Amino acid sequence: MPQPLRVIYSAFRLAMLHWIVDPQWVIPNVIAPFVFTFVALTLFKEASGPFGLYAVLGGGMMGMWGNTLYGSGFAISFEKWQGTLEEVEAAPSNLLHVIAGRSVSNALFGLTNMVAILLIASAVFRVPLGVANPILFGVSMVLTLLSVSALGLIFASAFVLTRSAQVFTNGLEFPIYVVSGSMFPIALLPFWTQPASYILGPTWGIDAIRLAAGQENASMAFWLDKVGKENAFLAFWLDLGVMLLITLAYLVIAAVLFKMVETKSRRDGSLVEA
Amino acid sequence: MMVENSAKRGLASDKALVVEHLCKVFNVTKGTLRRTKTQVVAVKDVSFEVDYGELFGLVGPNGAGKTTTIKMLTTMLIPTSGRAKVLGHDVQKEVTKVRERIGIVLGGERGLYTRVNALDNLRYFADLYGVPVNVREKRIKELLQFMGLSDRARDRVETYSKGMKQRLHLARGLINDPELIFMDEPTIGLDPEIARETRNMIKQLAEQGKTVLLTTHYMFEADELCKRVAIIRNGEIVALDTPSGLKKYVMDTSVVEVEGFGITENEVARFRKVPDVLAVSADLSENKQVLKIQTPKGSEIISEVQEILKNSRIYDLKIKEPTLEDAYLRLVEGSTK
Repeated sequence: MPQPLRVIYSAFRLAMLHWIVDPQWVIPNVIAPFVFTFVALTLFKEASGPFGLYAVLGGGMMGMWGNTLYGSGFAISFEKWQGTLEEVEAAPSNLLHVIAGRSVSNALFGLTNMVAILLIASAVFRVPLGVANPILFGVSMVLTLLSVSALGLIFASAFVLTRSAQVFTNGLEFPIYVVSGSMFPIALLPFWTQPASYILGPTWGIDAIRLAAGQENASMAFWLDKVGKENAFLAFWLDLGVMLLITLAYLVIAAVLFKMVETKSRRDGSLVEA
Repeated sequence: MMVENSAKRGLASDKALVVEHLCKVFNVTKGTLRRTKTQVVAVKDVSFEVDYGELFGLVGPNGAGKTTTIKMLTTMLIPTSGRAKVLGHDVQKEVTKVRERIGIVLGGERGLYTRVNALDNLRYFADLYGVPVNVREKRIKELLQFMGLSDRARDRVETYSKGMKQRLHLARGLINDPELIFMDEPTIGLDPEIARETRNMIKQLAEQGKTVLLTTHYMFEADELCKRVAIIRNGEIVALDTPSGLKKYVMDTSVVEVEGFGITENEVARFRKVPDVLAVSADLSENKQVLKIQTPKGSEIISEVQEILKNSRIYDLKIKEPTLEDAYLRLVEGSTK
């Protein structure tokens, strides 16, 4: 296995072990999104259209994004609290790969709540959750998870430069959740918010997930409107293509930011205690 | 002054560690509304060399610059000026090569993932150091055995005693089989028995041929372990020699040791002003206070001691031969006297 992948996997594994031994993750990952989904399903109970899946996917995305934002944002702080940051920093591996492993684990744990919500919505609320193409649904879900993780990496490095990570984290959770169209199509949002939506990888991922779930769930999807409903398969891959390009851009930005953070910390000692 | 002048010899490659005029200045911002920037010199002009296989000590009081020096040598901080080569690699230009070949053991209980077990801690760091997978498990097993942790390897680190955590720290620092190990106050906060155990481990590492740079503010520890010791004060090395060489600094002096009660800081300050007093150390925290006065006059100073301490109670007064600790005190207190 190439060394960067080995480091990512090892950091991922360690983060998962921490998740397992600290069961309080249940609160932000299952209970809060579940309550959110419950409220959404209750509100849209009488409405026509595919609102059930919207609510379920929305709740799931909320968990995935919230978990990544908090987990990645505090990934470096976590190492500081543990007193392990200096040991990790002094190792020859790239800090970006270590935090990437953590970020993926955070997003994956966030995804677990989507599974929980799917099951609860189906069993308790009898929401029809038929997915047209389960394989493409799974593919788009995994790629969206990676895109969310990459976005988390940008925040992880940016948060090191500020002492107010908590304030930024709280402030960013809902705007990104809404602007990415997790709960409802971005076409319903004011036009001036749409540029912000288009530079978010998860926006395209959610479009792809809805297309994979079935066209009736993606009536306002960006590419579907452009290429026509008969080309839904093409629209799906266009969504994923745009998301991958944006994700690559995120990774480049994160790599540059991490380099800056590392150089700054080695110069002013902001990450180590001298 | 016995400071080595490595600059004259250049960055010799036959040395495990070559440090030349190393300096670190931090910019500090003060104030809330009116912000002013000041500079704090943590290390100024530090030069020394360490041979392969040597156990070298860097000793100094808190804030002397020991940790900052170690962090520059381990690439965690960029020097403001000066140069250093670790195992032949420049600490500024060849960061990854330096990191691959060194080990770091920092003192204290932190620095371990306490919610997981020792095996997972060591596996993780083995992966960060790129230890080949086929070597990893064998090395972890050997290290756990060496540190006497094999039986508790699968227990969470949070259930370990201080001593076990310190041994795990050492194992973690050795996970990449480093040629040079930096140890920053590895016995700080440990009780005497565990500290002795840790010192024995360090001795064994030196016997195995590892080069060790150890920082401590316990002079007896440096005396027991190190082949050579550098004394650092206010970011500068004020002496560098073998422990016996450093003791020569105080050969011409005696130590008047006073045990008493009610001794005040003012009285200690008065001793520092006496012309024949070279250094004074005082532990005034306990009921039985201890005052050590270094002087070339020996018993001749007793009447002056009694005069200054006339308002305090003296339990005992001895004239002693100076130790390495006294040499250290004299060098460290040199600037304050």
